[in-house]
Amino acid sequence: MQRPFMLTLAGLTLALGVHAEPLTDADDITARANLAAYYSGADGRSEVRMIISDAQGRQQRRQFTVLRRDVDDGGDQQFLVVFSQPSDVRGTTFLVDKHVDKDDDRWLYLPGLDLVKRISAGDKRTSFVGAHVFYEDVSGRRPSDDTHEFVETTDEFYVLRHVPLDAQSVEFANYITWIDRDTFLPMKIEYQNAAGKAYRLVEVLGVEEFDGYATVTTSRVSNILSGGTTDMQFRYIRYDVGMPADVFTERSLRNPPRDWLARPTD
Amino acid sequence: MKLLALLLFVPVAGLAQGDLWDDDDWGDEEQTAVWSGFLEAGAGTRFRSDPLVEHRNTLEELRWRIESQWQPSRITLGLAADGGYDSIENDWYVDIRDLTLSFALGSRIDVKVGRQVQTWGTGDLVFLNDLFPKDFVSFFSGREDEYLKAPGNSIRVSQYSPLFNVDFSWTPVFEPDDYLTGERFSFFSPLAGDNVAPLPPLSASEPNESFSNGEFSLRLFRTVAGREYAVYVYRGFFKQPRALTTTLEPVFAPMNSFGASLRRPAGPGLLNAEVSYYESRNDRSGTDPFMPNSQFRLLAGYEWEAKPNFTVGLQYYLEWTLDHTALMENSSWPQFEPDEYRHLLTNRLTYRAGLDKYTWSLFTFFSPTDQDVYLRPVFTYRHSDQWSVTTGANLFGGNHQHTFFGQLQDAGNVYLRLRFNY
Repeated sequence: MQRPFMLTLAGLTLALGVHAEPLTDADDITARANLAAYYSGADGRSEVRMIISDAQGRQQRRQFTVLRRDVDDGGDQQFLVVFSQPSDVRGTTFLVDKHVDKDDDRWLYLPGLDLVKRISAGDKRTSFVGAHVFYEDVSGRRPSDDTHEFVETTDEFYVLRHVPLDAQSVEFANYITWIDRDTFLPMKIEYQNAAGKAYRLVEVLGVEEFDGYATVTTSRVSNILSGGTTDMQFRYIRYDVGMPADVFTERSLRNPPRDWLARPTD
Repeated sequence: MKLLALLLFVPVAGLAQGDLWDDDDWGDEEQTAVWSGFLEAGAGTRFRSDPLVEHRNTLEELRWRIESQWQPSRITLGLAADGGYDSIENDWYVDIRDLTLSFALGSRIDVKVGRQVQTWGTGDLVFLNDLFPKDFVSFFSGREDEYLKAPGNSIRVSQYSPLFNVDFSWTPVFEPDDYLTGERFSFFSPLAGDNVAPLPPLSASEPNESFSNGEFSLRLFRTVAGREYAVYVYRGFFKQPRALTTTLEPVFAPMNSFGASLRRPAGPGLLNAEVSYYESRNDRSGTDPFMPNSQFRLLAGYEWEAKPNFTVGLQYYLEWTLDHTALMENSSWPQFEPDEYRHLLTNRLTYRAGLDKYTWSLFTFFSPTDQDVYLRPVFTYRHSDQWSVTTGANLFGGNHQHTFFGQLQDAGNVYLRLRFNY
């Protein structure tokens, strides 16, 4: 009974937010951005493809389907990622139980060995399948891991600066986000190192609305120092499809749930 | 100059953006069969020749893998097969790793029938309750890690429920490990008191085909709040021909196994613990010198990311041979029998760099009681989605010829593999 009410409330405040006075509370804006970027609907599905380009222009490709279910809106979540390309990772699946009060639980299934491999909690800010994208970019960084400062409001964006609470656990000194004032989607994230130099950039290049939720459809992650980029496209996006919790279990790692992975036809 | 470069670059970048995805083809997901696989050439050679084995090389092969999956209606047909030429065995080969029919029975039961690779348990290259076949010849000769797990012809039934899950696997005809035969590597024979490489290579006779000589593997498992619990039962045979007939022919001794495991996060990493009891069905008292004794096995491991992209894994493993006094009293070669307690330590170091293009790894087995060691350094360079190259070595050392790694001192090798994925 609580969930629909919470959702309605969140929807209302979002709707009101568009017309209200600009917000200035950095924690509040960050919380809304977190919801907009990672918690649209009670669940969702998307197909993703990536082009990973190194500084020499050599390209690699990845393609996968992501299923997501929220345990609590703004709280714990479950993810299932099923790879279809390239051929050496085809059939590999990745399961995440994301927690807000402790480390995430993560499993990888390697079909050639029939091995369910568990991944230790540490490497959240390392490459996801060889892309410039980090594991943490896929499932979201906890707002409680950083302090948030309000920088300014522009015509389009709320600009915030975020400083990690545990500087040892991350490679950045701080990062700045440009959050769309209407949709609350973070449209640009710039990571700075201890020297104050921007070295990593996440940009949203395309947004479309699906089932009433503004959703990123094209984005790019750049390593400014090395010159490499990963471009991402998101397609076949659906929300609130009614996925049950048991889609996100070892059964699905070994035997991906065809009904929920099937591409929507309309 | 900079401006010029910028002006030149902008239209090019614009073009590149338009061309980036070059098509709108997201693939006809799961509607039609997709064929994939790889071509691989592998070569490996000993550091010094083994006087007992004709070939100095340990790996000389071309391998073509094809993989596909069809999903007509509610069933899934899977195929993964290797074919190629192995110039050490001097023969063409076809090796089917997966040929299966999978379907669901109701909403909670999955069935997979056919030739398949199966894995369970928590150990990293150490196996207690995983009694599915292993291919140690591949493992020692420099093939991809995947080949350590050999396929078997089985029926696997998995039932999932909120209380706990059940995996049951029935292998009607016993599938032994690919053990050392003397063809590629010589091995220690207590009969000879030395390494041997028989011609023709050792081929232990396998149990007669009957229902009760099949292999039955059961796992009950459940994950609660990130903690994975499992209980295991197995009825079958020791996977290596460690028993002898009265005419001194090597055979597989019947055994039952009972075990349990736990895997959970702890501190910055993952903790795993596993135990098993191997019951030697035809030698419960340990007095038969031609039968392996019962054993208790224990494993404890911890893995964590010590630095970004640098992972460390440590394991302690114990093989406790039960009724050891009876074994020593009745054995014809007590000097070659295992210690009552065989301790083994393992260490895995993995470092990935350049967006996972470069992977360095070192796996070490060290037994202070057997006084032997096995090192597996491996380096992989993934040049592109198509091309990758792997080089590594298998290094063995020991103070005694009769221990597991000690017998392989003339098997130390270095290898190179080039792979094209399609």
